Amino acid sequence: MNLLDLKEILQILEERDITEFEMEQGGVKLRVCRGAGRAPALAQAPVVVTQIPAGAPVGAAVANALPAQPASADAPAPPSTEPAAAEGTLVRSPIVGTFYRSPDPNSPSFVSVGDTVKVGQVLCIIEAMKLMNEIESELAGEVVKVYPENGQPVQYGDPLFTIRTA
Amino acid sequence: MFKKVLIANRGEIALRVMWACKELGLKTVAVYSEADANGLHVRFADEAVCIGPPRNIESYLNIPAIISAAEITGADAIHPGYGFLSESAYLAEICEACNIKFIGPGPQAIRLMGDKSRAKKAMIKAGVPVVPGSPGVLDDEEKAVKVARDIGFPVILKASAGGGGRGMRIVREAQDLAQNFRAAQAEAQAAFGVPDVYVEKYVAGPRHIEIQVMADSKGNVVHLGERECSIQRRHQKIIEEAPSLAVPEKLRRRMGRTAVEAAAAVQYVNAGTIEFLLDKDGNYYFMEMNTRIQVEHGVTELVTGRDLVKEQIHVAAGEALSFSQKDVTFSGHALECRINAEDPWNFTPSPGTIRHFFQPGGPGVRVDTFAHEGCEISPYYDSMIAKLMTHGRTRAEAIARMKRSLDVMVVEGIKTNIPLHRKILDDPDFVAGRFDTGYMERFLPQKKATAAS
Repeated sequence: MNLLDLKEILQILEERDITEFEMEQGGVKLRVCRGAGRAPALAQAPVVVTQIPAGAPVGAAVANALPAQPASADAPAPPSTEPAAAEGTLVRSPIVGTFYRSPDPNSPSFVSVGDTVKVGQVLCIIEAMKLMNEIESELAGEVVKVYPENGQPVQYGDPLFTIRTA
Repeated sequence: MFKKVLIANRGEIALRVMWACKELGLKTVAVYSEADANGLHVRFADEAVCIGPPRNIESYLNIPAIISAAEITGADAIHPGYGFLSESAYLAEICEACNIKFIGPGPQAIRLMGDKSRAKKAMIKAGVPVVPGSPGVLDDEEKAVKVARDIGFPVILKASAGGGGRGMRIVREAQDLAQNFRAAQAEAQAAFGVPDVYVEKYVAGPRHIEIQVMADSKGNVVHLGERECSIQRRHQKIIEEAPSLAVPEKLRRRMGRTAVEAAAAVQYVNAGTIEFLLDKDGNYYFMEMNTRIQVEHGVTELVTGRDLVKEQIHVAAGEALSFSQKDVTFSGHALECRINAEDPWNFTPSPGTIRHFFQPGGPGVRVDTFAHEGCEISPYYDSMIAKLMTHGRTRAEAIARMKRSLDVMVVEGIKTNIPLHRKILDDPDFVAGRFDTGYMERFLPQKKATAAS
């Protein structure tokens, strides 16, 4: 691949506002991430279920799942800022409900920053319709960050934890 | 009165409900799937909760997510709109259990009218005329022949598990019945998995006339006149109007009275619509009842001057109807064209981004839409992007207003059925009111031929 090809690819990516692109050709692997730090790589988030329409390229699915335009001034403010992907893997809320860090008010938190967690370990509870849903980790690693406050309402897709895998 | 209403829907109806809530000073909560994160209903609501990924079953049909969203925002009422969960007796029940008011009828009425067989039986009991037919599924062709002779030919054989126009056979002569019955059973088995077939009188050249009703929790029931919905393709309505040219004042009073009796018989509360088939001789037959606010409610609002969605909210809040039957008056004529994101001639959906958008306006024009420039019309949802309504002192004026509105309505970036509407409004048969439910079937082949040439 020569410089002209690269320029052309970058131009196309910019025109179509594609944030992530990967290709392999002639023994060369090219990976482009535009706007680094703006949004985490959705593909690595273990808990989110992102439906990819049949036949649609993966790029399209990502575009559908995350709004391409910035939110307007009138839009309700998102509950927490998007974390950078570099720290680890983002665990997002799979349901709507109220976030609790411990099994009950008198018990210690399920996990704290710095703890190492195993696959299947309960990270938190999200209460929905009077049911306490235990959210299990799909990763093994170190808890680097906790996002919601105890008792804070969360919506589908809201960041819960960042876990740094070994 | 409620403090906060959660609108369990999207698109134009979510906005419609929101306008009513804002006028009443109620706070609004929008729920949305990830595909609708930039939707206008999200941006204009006081609060918004993302409830799931784009697929309906994981978002707009996801009862736990919706109830949970109501809980975390403290909403005390849920308006389900139309489609989605609007006729879910289950959602209505869960709302009751969670102390959230479902803005609509009670679960029993929803369940009863949702079961076509039970609904028909309830209507017969209430003395409402129904399409004569077999009391239930027919086991054998002898029974079918007997029932058909009693009803009188022509008859129509229908698959019990069918719907949307599928699994139906018209039989005009007695000698053809046995063979058609056997064939209908085989088709039903193949298409729907059950060979259950029943017989009904075939109403030739019928019109689809529906009556809007509104009932409160104190036993008051009123009707707000009819809507003419015969312009449909494969049982999807395309153009609706009020009043109907085929319904003179006396017939309106009779049908209205019947609709009120039907609603009262099932202890109905809130907004509902009774659908009838009207034959050429002025006989009408109950078809089904829709236990929700409908897409085409706007044409009734235009001719009666009443806000049906605000009335729904008042009724749900326990108030008496704000008007009685004698207060219901009709003025002028209203039309509605459903603007869909589809090819105007072959009806294939046309999702995409709207690059340029202009809404018509001026006297007698009402547009209910969520579409705007830059709006993403996604393939996940219904193709209807706007309801273009006009009102005039006469039908001719309403038609003239509709034509000039369609001519200036700009939707670029996707295909729409605006050209189809334009052709229909030029058609002498439509203008003269010479149509029935078979209209589109006759109209389309000619128009497609012209468009292709």
